[in-house]
Amino acid sequence: MDYVQAIVDGLLFGAVYALIGIGFTLIFGVMNKINMAYAAASFAGAYVSLGIAQVVGLSGDFGLPPFVMFLVSAVAGGVFAYIVYLICFRFTPDHYELASLMATIGTLLMVDEMVVQATNGEPQNYPEVLQGIFDNPMLEFSEEFAIRGDLLTLFIVAVIATLGLLWVLFRTKLGLATRAVAQQRMAAQLCGIRVDRTNATTFVIAGVLGGLAGAMIGAVVGTLLQSLVVIPLTIKGLIVTVIGGLGSIPGAIVGGLMVGAFENVFLAIRGVTERDMYVMLLLFVFLAFRPQGLFGRVAVRD
Amino acid sequence: MIVKRFYLFAGAAAVALTGVSGTALAQKFDREVHIAGFGAKSGVVRSFGVNTEGMMRAAADKINAGGGIKLGDGKMGKVVVTFYDDRCRAEEGISVIRRIASGKFVVAVGPTCSNVAEPLFGILQKTVDDKSDSGLQFPIFTDTAIKGGLAKISAWAFRNVPNETEMYKNLFAWVKKKWPNLKTVYGGVEEDFAHSRFTWYKVMDKQAKAAGFKVLGRAKWLLADTNFTTQVRAMKKAKADIISISSHPFTLCGLLKEMRRQRVKYKVLIGLTSSSSMETLQGCARQAKGIIIPTSFAPVTAAAKEASAGGAKYKASADLHSAAAWENMMVLKQVMESKGVMAKAGTIQADRRKIRDGLAALKNTQGLIGSIKRHKSGEATKPFVYVHAQGKEWKILHDPNK
Repeated sequence: MDYVQAIVDGLLFGAVYALIGIGFTLIFGVMNKINMAYAAASFAGAYVSLGIAQVVGLSGDFGLPPFVMFLVSAVAGGVFAYIVYLICFRFTPDHYELASLMATIGTLLMVDEMVVQATNGEPQNYPEVLQGIFDNPMLEFSEEFAIRGDLLTLFIVAVIATLGLLWVLFRTKLGLATRAVAQQRMAAQLCGIRVDRTNATTFVIAGVLGGLAGAMIGAVVGTLLQSLVVIPLTIKGLIVTVIGGLGSIPGAIVGGLMVGAFENVFLAIRGVTERDMYVMLLLFVFLAFRPQGLFGRVAVRD
Repeated sequence: MIVKRFYLFAGAAAVALTGVSGTALAQKFDREVHIAGFGAKSGVVRSFGVNTEGMMRAAADKINAGGGIKLGDGKMGKVVVTFYDDRCRAEEGISVIRRIASGKFVVAVGPTCSNVAEPLFGILQKTVDDKSDSGLQFPIFTDTAIKGGLAKISAWAFRNVPNETEMYKNLFAWVKKKWPNLKTVYGGVEEDFAHSRFTWYKVMDKQAKAAGFKVLGRAKWLLADTNFTTQVRAMKKAKADIISISSHPFTLCGLLKEMRRQRVKYKVLIGLTSSSSMETLQGCARQAKGIIIPTSFAPVTAAAKEASAGGAKYKASADLHSAAAWENMMVLKQVMESKGVMAKAGTIQADRRKIRDGLAALKNTQGLIGSIKRHKSGEATKPFVYVHAQGKEWKILHDPNK
């Protein structure tokens, strides 16, 4: 029963990895480039929500109801993502592959340090997912098996956010343009699609998802500490993207859940010191035997 | 007209007096005594460096306000503090100390991280006057890096950090005496951080057993972990009377919140020395309520209160680590005066040696909450109290010295 519990906990927490993975994959799908600053900008969104709540100081322990803070984090995540787009992609030379990658790494470190300087590196208390509604919600099925209510809520929020994203991608003109740019940038441009605007919008959408993910992580941990979690989360996001398949949204979802479950199972079986080693091993297995990931397309000559 | 003249005269007199007093102030000090501080002022543990620097500057202000340091030739020296950031990284710490040693500084206070202190002490000369050893001959007086037994690495390294073995030995014995019905302990350890790992395996675990408790097991996690469900589930299953957690504020808060979610029951909760800081209260005051931590600083004496208020002017929080920086500055003043440090450009190396010898010769020093015993190894045994988190502050639970 311990392992079942570990798998369920891991799957639920894996929803966070899925959200981060979707952000990476969305940007890669459209621009064919990796945004290393994605998780940093996402977490910065959560910090902004905390700061705004403290300034506004309307109600409760934090100054704003938790769900409002999560929304603020999502919006701030979108704004940060747009800034990252401008700094690292829009105005960096397109023909130097490394330019945008290095710019995003620089932005990651810069955002990280800015948050550290602003907070003295101190952990910041962050509202829990259902704070003010349920106190420590827990669905207890037996002594051996229980589901954390906040993780379940996080999972549901992630599912709703993903469905919303899919709706945008497959039911709106913007989504059509995004998919067109992802499939054939030049052809999309020839059809009159404004590629730069589509790219910027994709960044903002990914940023909104990231801001939500940052807030959700803060909420399930109950504490924010950017400098400690951003780089590990960036690495997890990349692993999820590779396992799911670069550019594949269903892949990012399945990959995120899979990584979450995997690391929890190995945590239960082998302990924390070996946990990440097995996750890396899983990555190597994919890179060696299925480099296109679960849902990615096999690379062929264009 | 007379009134106007009077005001002119009064104004001129005031300006003249200000000038005279300004000159007198400038002449109060004959030379400058440069002391370097170094530690993490950026990165994950920035607060350590911010607090240490603030406390050093506050202590320097106090020394200077009292006339400064009396130098070997009877002149007065003004203490000047310069603080360097090592980012809590060994390679940067070594680079910083080389830079400090090549400058005008007679001594350095730092570093804040054990993972910096250990390799850094390794580049110092191991034994004094060993001509075959080309190691750096520069005195370092550590305030924060707490991992046990590091000062023995070099005769130039001294530490004013609490002895955790003593602290937890006393704490577990006190818990045993106060709650004789408690039998079992379950541990929790942040596995990838030098200090917390050392404290669980070499201190808490051993001292709990020595006090007669049965250690049922331990949960492990990493410094950057965000999910503690599996670890807390194991903790809950163990049903131990005492939970003893060796972890720094970020993961401590994450863990405590998870323990609350899973409704883990315990009678006594014990924490790591470094967690008795404002960071813990900032992150999880409600969940940390009642956690018992031994600490070598609490504002319980007039001197401690003065230090705490002095640090606050520099936005530094006085805790067991940063308060030691204040103590170090006071000890250094005492050593420099007794050894007749000259603080001249041509005497820097001789001054460094005098300070080293002076620190090595100390048997006792006066700390903020009591007398500190100094050992030949360069380590100290500091007085301590047990504090517990109550609301937004740490309150004294028990003073073993009384």
